Amino acid sequence: MSAHVGAAVAPEARSGWVRRRLADVGAGAIDNARAARLLYSIFIRTLYYSVRGRREKGAVLRACYDIGNRSLFFLTAVMGFVGMIMVFHSCTQINRITGDLHLVGATYIQLVVRDFAASVGSMMLATRVGAGIAAEIGSMVVTDQVDALRMCAAEPVDYLIVPRFKASVVMTTVLLVWAMFVMEVSGMLTAWGMFNVNPRIFWNISMVDFRDLATGLTKCFAFGAAIPIVSGYCGLTTFGGAEGVGWATTRAVVWSCFATILLNFIISTTALYLFWV
Amino acid sequence: MTESLAQLEVAAKQPGRVSRGAERVVRRIGRSVVGIAQQTGGILVLLGKIVRRFFPPDIDYYELKRNLHKMGNRSLPIIGLTSVFVGAIMVVQASAYVQQFSATAFVGWGAGYVILRELGPILIALMFSGRVGANNTAELGTMVVTEQIDGLRSLAIDPISYLIVPRFLSMIGMLFILTVFGNLIALCGAALFGQLTLGIEWRVFFHGITELLKPWDVYVGLIKSLVFGLIIALSSCYFGLAVRGGAPGVGRAVNASVVASAVGIFVSDYFLTFLVD
Repeated sequence: MSAHVGAAVAPEARSGWVRRRLADVGAGAIDNARAARLLYSIFIRTLYYSVRGRREKGAVLRACYDIGNRSLFFLTAVMGFVGMIMVFHSCTQINRITGDLHLVGATYIQLVVRDFAASVGSMMLATRVGAGIAAEIGSMVVTDQVDALRMCAAEPVDYLIVPRFKASVVMTTVLLVWAMFVMEVSGMLTAWGMFNVNPRIFWNISMVDFRDLATGLTKCFAFGAAIPIVSGYCGLTTFGGAEGVGWATTRAVVWSCFATILLNFIISTTALYLFWV
Repeated sequence: MTESLAQLEVAAKQPGRVSRGAERVVRRIGRSVVGIAQQTGGILVLLGKIVRRFFPPDIDYYELKRNLHKMGNRSLPIIGLTSVFVGAIMVVQASAYVQQFSATAFVGWGAGYVILRELGPILIALMFSGRVGANNTAELGTMVVTEQIDGLRSLAIDPISYLIVPRFLSMIGMLFILTVFGNLIALCGAALFGQLTLGIEWRVFFHGITELLKPWDVYVGLIKSLVFGLIIALSSCYFGLAVRGGAPGVGRAVNASVVASAVGIFVSDYFLTFLVD
């Protein structure tokens, strides 16, 4: 995008290096502002059609199956390994300093509920679900199916993004709660097998309170809403054949991962000031 | 392969079978096991082909230089942006405990340990796989579906040494360098945010890092980044070369490649964590 805007300014800007750089920066800023406006407009239209749009029978359920069931194995495997790595690290570090392992479980469960299940799990979902959505919508764009929809006076956002949005909000929350459970079980097994921590002592949920639960669930909900919007935007703005579909998928993965990190930062900071400070 | 699977399906559909559901489950499991075995084998064969091109070195240096620039320099902004937020999130998560125990001297150690050993290499590798790995799969896949690879072969240019080896080398090298930069940026982000929210002096923060961490903690993260680079390079090249069926095929290949990279990163991280400690 920035390349051809830059090329359009090139004749006047040829005079100097500084002007050329300034033109690049300006073109980049204009591109980003345009992209942000389009993203915002897709978000608003998605919300509008979620309430007001038509309801196709089974579309949301199909999207739920695609987003939820088909990510289950992938998410379970990855989160199991993450849980093992985290408990292994914290136990070795505690052994080096105090050697008192009886609070590891309680603190670990609190951290998993408040942050780690949602943040690591949603990056995984952004990778799988985001790439899938962008690839699907992107292939429809380059084969002119989206233009055909528009020609039939059907809003592409209503047909393509809204079912995935609804499904993703529900399924991401469900999957991330499942991820919390998987991380706790794999962490418990690691602590039991390698550090001799009794599972009953490890499975201590006394430190998890309303604040942790509220923060964790808000994150699940926000990430579930952000992933389909960002990747749907990347899919709808695809241009240029097979290469374009590849580019759209790449952008979807990068920007949905970045969106989850940014949202995580915002929600964590808000929760910190709201609940703990 | 597909023919023999089709034959199996035909054979399985013959009358005299009783439990349809169980049979379908077994068939599906078998199919995914065969698929995973096929992919692993294909990736190892590709690795063998790449290694053979180093004896004697048969690498296209112009292509190598171009890929180093495209994969390294142009990924720096998104890696830097991600790293700042990762560092800040670490401090936000720690700050509830820090205020509870007023352990400001340990924030630098905690954030440094987690960022340098685990979170930095993993998150940077995930972003790299989203940006560079996915893009690489898309590019190679587009070349396959537009028959450019066959075109290279017909000109007696070896696609492996012309296309794959430079990408392989530049992905491994650039992920390593980006991890070094990303770790530094994440630590600075953590220090900045610690100063802003918890009022921890920069000097106290970095003192915690230099006093309580050993050089080995830095090296572990960098060794991990080399292995992650290998995994991303192999999976993205393999899935790119294995594309079938036009623009939708490219989208599917990108999806499969990022999922395989993510699983590979976490599984190898688990084993590396055990091996190096």
